[in-house]
Amino acid sequence: MRIAVALVRIAMGVMLVAAGALKIGHAPTLAAAIAGFRLLPSPIVAPLSIGLPFLEVFVGLYLIVGFYARTAAYVATAQYLLYAFAIASAVIRGIPANCGCFGPGDAATADWPHVAFDLVLGALCAFVAWRAPGAFALDERLNTR
Amino acid sequence: MNQRKIALISVAILILAIAGYYAWLRFERPAQVAQVQQAAQPATLGKAQQTGPAPEFEAATTAGHFDLAEVKKPVFLEVFATWCPHCQRETAVLNKLYAAYGKKVAFVAVSGSDSAMDGDSPASAADVLKFATIFNVKYPIAYDGRLAVADLYLQGGYPTIAVIDAKKTVSYINSGELPYDTLAAEIQKVLK
Repeated sequence: MRIAVALVRIAMGVMLVAAGALKIGHAPTLAAAIAGFRLLPSPIVAPLSIGLPFLEVFVGLYLIVGFYARTAAYVATAQYLLYAFAIASAVIRGIPANCGCFGPGDAATADWPHVAFDLVLGALCAFVAWRAPGAFALDERLNTR
Repeated sequence: MNQRKIALISVAILILAIAGYYAWLRFERPAQVAQVQQAAQPATLGKAQQTGPAPEFEAATTAGHFDLAEVKKPVFLEVFATWCPHCQRETAVLNKLYAAYGKKVAFVAVSGSDSAMDGDSPASAADVLKFATIFNVKYPIAYDGRLAVADLYLQGGYPTIAVIDAKKTVSYINSGELPYDTLAAEIQKVLK
């Protein structure tokens, strides 16, 4: 089980690092994608479009190395649930918003398969949070949980 | 070094990275900061809806006057903003579509933002022509100072692309950087 947790934890971490890294340097595109969901006021959208990619990379790195793995997994779970909520609300309201999940190269439109995808990722992160830290984790060496 | 110290240092690095990136944007790429501010404004939601009737519009394009009511063939409409990176990249896709379907479908791209390419100056016909020149736009393009077409058609953001069939029904409408294959398939549907 420890190995399985580690594999899921590292996979989720790699995915977050990739998603965040692909967005860094493309703040206007991300701002447009977030604004397209019509959930947040513009004074929040602008700083979020600059800070969110870094947060994703940061949480992803914590998951990969297994440092404060449980906390990082909780944060990742919350992120994916929020993404799923945002996409679902756009679909329900009939707004053809852009997912914006993996930076400017990702032109996928927000739809139910994306909601399901984010829920699955959220569930996997919740699993990591439940059984953290798993094998190959800094937490085990440093005794942080 | 204990774990708490490592955590604090890494959080400090995160904050410094975000602050540093913002400072770099602010002083080295002010136009991009302006673009972020522009992009953060949610676009108005037009009344055009997929499978619904296409709202009537007119535009003075680089290829002459365009009136939806007078066009007998299907129409490919793009509402764009010159400052929008999606729209700038989408020009290559639209050029390719125009080369493939320009004879069977009426193409028209209409500006839909009150800001120019630098994100600060007001939109203008000159700015739209500059956009067309820089991005080598081949299809008819128009400046709409009243944003009338955007008010009718703009959806989730820039660009919004609508495919209207010959019976003036919106066959497809979506926003974002849409790939060639998706748009070509939508055009094929209205040509059947």
